[in-house]
Amino acid sequence: MSLPSATDAIRVSDLCVSYTAVVEEPRDPDHPRRRRTRKRDIQALENVTFNVPKGEAMGLIGGNGAGKSTLLKTIAGILKPTDGQVELWGRPHLLAPGMGFNNKLSGRENVILGGLAAGMAIDEVRDKQDSIIEFADIGGFIDLPVITYSSGMFSRLAFAVATHVNPEILLIDEALSAGDAGFRDKAVAKVKEMCHQAQTILVVSHSSAMVSEMATRALWLHQGNVKMVGEVEAVADAYADFQANQRETAQHDRSIADRR
Amino acid sequence: MTTPDTPTITRRATRTGVPPLGQYLSEAWRYRTFAVYWSRAEIKSRNFETSLGRLWHFLNPLLFGIIYFIFIGIIAGGGLDNTARLGFIVGNLYAWTYFSTIINTGIGSVHGGGGGVTGQSAIPRVVLPFASTLTAANLFVRSLIAYIPIHILADRGLHWEQLLLPVMVVLTGMFGLGLALLLAVLNVYLRDVSRLVPHFLRLWLYLSPALWGYTRLFDQGLVETIAQLNPMYWGMVAWTFIYGGPLSSERPGLGMALLIFTAWAVATLLIGFFTFISREDEFAVRN
Repeated sequence: MSLPSATDAIRVSDLCVSYTAVVEEPRDPDHPRRRRTRKRDIQALENVTFNVPKGEAMGLIGGNGAGKSTLLKTIAGILKPTDGQVELWGRPHLLAPGMGFNNKLSGRENVILGGLAAGMAIDEVRDKQDSIIEFADIGGFIDLPVITYSSGMFSRLAFAVATHVNPEILLIDEALSAGDAGFRDKAVAKVKEMCHQAQTILVVSHSSAMVSEMATRALWLHQGNVKMVGEVEAVADAYADFQANQRETAQHDRSIADRR
Repeated sequence: MTTPDTPTITRRATRTGVPPLGQYLSEAWRYRTFAVYWSRAEIKSRNFETSLGRLWHFLNPLLFGIIYFIFIGIIAGGGLDNTARLGFIVGNLYAWTYFSTIINTGIGSVHGGGGGVTGQSAIPRVVLPFASTLTAANLFVRSLIAYIPIHILADRGLHWEQLLLPVMVVLTGMFGLGLALLLAVLNVYLRDVSRLVPHFLRLWLYLSPALWGYTRLFDQGLVETIAQLNPMYWGMVAWTFIYGGPLSSERPGLGMALLIFTAWAVATLLIGFFTFISREDEFAVRN
């Protein structure tokens, strides 16, 4: 693990995040009408420590429930640490297409609302409005209520608004699937352009290939703990080996169970 | 380029759950324009796809007031030709609707996830109920336009107390926002709250001097004392003064009503605000 640098943009120290969820338990066969719930403490992150120097793009990889999204949300300020701390040199922006949208308003009005929700100033949104509308490329639908849009059109507009922000720290959580195949290429190119403009990037993806393409270093999270931090290729390879081992073990267990 | 030692933003666990206040308030201030636009969007979307559109902002409160006037005229007696009563009921109902709209839309703004704001952004969540308070204030001002002809018809006249109308708009807004913040938190843990609130507000309306004059409780001893424990007793006394001047030269006076209602509004807003901000990250997990 690298030591904190004098030029860090993100410094995460001994970060723990836990929350309480109410889970419904299976019904008691003797009392099928009785609904049973129980509070369950979920430890999403445990003593996570790492740093991202200014100007660096770091990828977050790990399986489902590893804590990647929780980590991103805590850095973004959506969730609070239970212990430890996050220090940021710059304002973070989580790429969240469609955030703040009102379906009953026109696309044009939602550009303003979504832009303000994304943290832009009103003058900045007005300056970028034409460029956002041009990027979304939804023609005359821009003046119709968003509720009348197809899901593809909605994604295009939402993505166009979300990617016209110039953040100091850009946080991306699997947000690259937008609209149809033609628009997806345009969307990926736009995110890459954002990455070039942003000073620091933290990107979450299930796809190691996507992370390798966008990041120089990677952090592998496993069940809320840091498993490995380092050069993106080395971490991606280690993660791929781990996944292969996991699959092999699962297959082995299944074959033993089948023989029994 | 060297990084300054002091980070721009620090996120750490606090014992009470209350985030650093200066940082929180400055972030909330940064989203003030969003609150204004969010509120405008809320108003615009209310009458989406209706033929009469914005006219409903005036028709709704007018019809609401007339229905109550007829209801009270028939049930409580006194006939339907009492225009002074019509003015009294409609005016007070508009003030009450302002108060109840803050609470209902305030809870709803958080409960509905605020268009993804509670789960996907770090916008201080208090911005949403605040925007709902702006919405309610905006709708109230529109309803006053519908009230003017009724005020003239009821011959309620001009009084110096009417100059205090902006003060009561602010105080009612503060009290309503404080309650909305508290109930929004409660609703995160107990979803039934948002279902119960409209019934509770209806009952509260009947127990407050909104549809009946506060003078009815004069010399009622214990009943009057108990009624005065209700913060909206003082709120509605003040609103009654503001619309049409005093109903009686006897107690209580407008000054006393304003003073007590201010104390309730400030205390409720402070308690609601600190409870809300200490719990607001729960909205991202539980909504």
